[in-house]
Amino acid sequence: MQGVIDREWIVRKTLFTLAMMTVLGIILIIFFVAREAIPAFTGAGPANLFSATWNPKSGQYGMLIFLTGTLATTVGGLLLGTPLAIGSALFLTQMAPRRVRSIATRGVELLAGVPSIVLGWLGFTIMVPWIRSATGSTGTGLLAASIILAIMVLPTITAIAKDALEAVPESHKQAALAMGATRWQMIRRVLLPAAKPGLLVAVILGMGRAIGETMAVALVIGPATAFPTSLTTPTHTMTTKILIEMGESTGLQRSSLFAMGLVLLLMAMLLILLVRLVTHRKEVVR
Amino acid sequence: MTTDLESEVKTQETQPRVDLAGDVCEIRDERIEGIIQANITRSERRAQLLDRTATATVWTLALIGLGILAFIIFVILYRGIAAALAPGFVFGKPQAMKEGGGIWPMVVSSFYLALLTIAIVVPLGVGAAVYMTEFAKEGRITRLVRFGADSLSTVPSVVFGIFGMVLFVIYFGLGYSLLAGALTLALLNMPTVMRTTEEATLAVPRSYREAAMGLGANRWETAKKIVLPSAMPGITTGIVLTMGRIVGESAAVIYTVGIFVRKAPTSPLQPAAPMAAHIWHTYTEGALVSDWMRVANGEAAFLLLVVLALNLAARMIARTYRKRLGMVN
Repeated sequence: MQGVIDREWIVRKTLFTLAMMTVLGIILIIFFVAREAIPAFTGAGPANLFSATWNPKSGQYGMLIFLTGTLATTVGGLLLGTPLAIGSALFLTQMAPRRVRSIATRGVELLAGVPSIVLGWLGFTIMVPWIRSATGSTGTGLLAASIILAIMVLPTITAIAKDALEAVPESHKQAALAMGATRWQMIRRVLLPAAKPGLLVAVILGMGRAIGETMAVALVIGPATAFPTSLTTPTHTMTTKILIEMGESTGLQRSSLFAMGLVLLLMAMLLILLVRLVTHRKEVVR
Repeated sequence: MTTDLESEVKTQETQPRVDLAGDVCEIRDERIEGIIQANITRSERRAQLLDRTATATVWTLALIGLGILAFIIFVILYRGIAAALAPGFVFGKPQAMKEGGGIWPMVVSSFYLALLTIAIVVPLGVGAAVYMTEFAKEGRITRLVRFGADSLSTVPSVVFGIFGMVLFVIYFGLGYSLLAGALTLALLNMPTVMRTTEEATLAVPRSYREAAMGLGANRWETAKKIVLPSAMPGITTGIVLTMGRIVGESAAVIYTVGIFVRKAPTSPLQPAAPMAAHIWHTYTEGALVSDWMRVANGEAAFLLLVVLALNLAARMIARTYRKRLGMVN
C-alpha cells in the first residue's frame, strides 16, 4: 500500500512539473529576450531606441518606423477582417442551412491551417502585382499587408466569435423572437449584446495574431526602412525587421532588434491582460 | 332631509358617467388608433426591410470569406501542382546555382522536425493537461499555469525564433539544428496540445472516473487506464493538427533550424531546412536560380497539400475512433 501511495505522489509531482513548464517557458522567453536587449537600453538608451531614425552606421536605433508599421497594418487588417469575420460567425451560427454550415465551418478551419509563408507567397506573386498595376506603385506596403492580415485574422476571429455567439442561451433568442422581433432585431438587441465580451475577446486575439504575424507580412510589406507615405509605399513592421536583420547584425544593432522583440512580448502580455479585463475570467475563451 | 339624500344618491346614480367616459374613449380610439396602427405597420415594414438587408449583408460577408478561402487554395494548387508532382521535384536534389532543383532534403527536414517536436511536446502537453483536469484543484496554481499557457500562445512566433536562437542554438550550444528547432516549437505548441487534451479529457463522463475510483483505483490509475484511453480520439486529433502547424511554421524555424541544406538531415543535431523556411530562402535568394519561381510555387503547393492532408487525417481519426468507441467526444 505504501508503494502505491508513493508512486501516486511521484506521478503527481511529475505532472505538476510538466504543467509548470508553461510558466517556466514564458519566464525563460522574457528573461532571455530581455537579457539580449539590455545592451541596447544601456548602450543606446531608451531615447535613441524610441526615436524615429534607424541608422545603425551612425548609431541610431529608433524603432518608431517599425512600431508605426506594426500598428498601421494591425489596424488595417482588423478593419478589413473584423466585419468579414463577425459576418461569417453570424452566418455560421444563425443563418446558414445545416449542410452549408458544416462545410463552411470546415473551410474556416482549413483557412486557419494555411501556412503563413504560403499565404505570403501568394500575396507576393498575385496580390502585389494586382495592386501595382492598379495604383502604379510598387504594390507593396500597408495596403497589401493589411489585406493579407485580414485573411490571417479571419479564421481566428470567426472561430472565437462563433463560440461566443453559440454560448448565448437559446431561450434568450426564442424570447425575443416570440415577442415578434425579426431575426435581425433579435441579433442586434439580444444576441450581439449578450455575446459582446466574447466578440471583444475574438477581436483582441485577432489583434494579437496580426501584431505577431511575420512571414506573410514580410513578403508584401516592401520592405523598406522608411515611414509609409501612402498605403502603397514600402515600409517595415517590427516582426519583419527582426526577421530580415537578425541574421546579419551584431552588437547594438542586434540588441536593439531584441529590444523590439521585447516590445512585441509586452504587447502580447498586455493583450492577455486586456482579455482578462474584458471577460472578468481567469481563462481566455478560445 | 331624506329626500335630499335620496335625490343626491339618485343623481349620482343617474349621472351618465360611464357613457361619458365611453364617449371620450371612443373619440380617442378613432383619432389615435389610426395613427398608432399606421406607425406599427410602418415600423414593422421597416424592421422587415432591415432584417432582409442585414441577412443579405451577412450572407455576402460570409460568401466573401469563403470565396477568399476557395481562391487561395485553388490558386496555390493550380499554379504549383504541376511543379510539385513533376518527377524529380519532391524526391529530387536541390540546386543552388542552376535549374531543375528538387526539394527532398526539405521534405525530410519538415517531417523530421515535426516528429521530433511531437516527441517532445506530447509528454509535456498531455502531462500538463492531465495534471490540470485530473489532479489539480482549481486555485492559484491552475490560474498560474493557465496564465503561462495563454501567454505562450500569444507570443509572436518570430520572438520564439530569436528566443530559441539565444537559448538553444547559442547558450546550449546546439547550433542550428533540428533539436534546437524542435525544443523551440515544443514550447510554441505546448498550449495547443494542452488545450486539445484538456478538452478531450473533460469530455470523458464523470461517471467513468467515479466507477474506476469506486473499484479502488487511485487518480493516476484512473487517468491512465480510463480517462486517457477514452480521450484518445480528441488527443490524437489535436496532435495531428499540431503536426500541421509545425510543418507550416517558418518564423520560429529560420533562426533555430536553418533555411537551406543540400542533403537530408540524418541526426537531430544537424542543421536542416524545413519546407516553410526554404520557401523564405528561395524568395530572398531567388536571383541565384532562374527557375526559383517554379521551385517556390511547387514547394508552396506541396506544403499546402501536406497541411491539408494532415487536417483531413485528423478529422478521419476522430471519426473512426468515435465510431469504434461509440461515444460522444
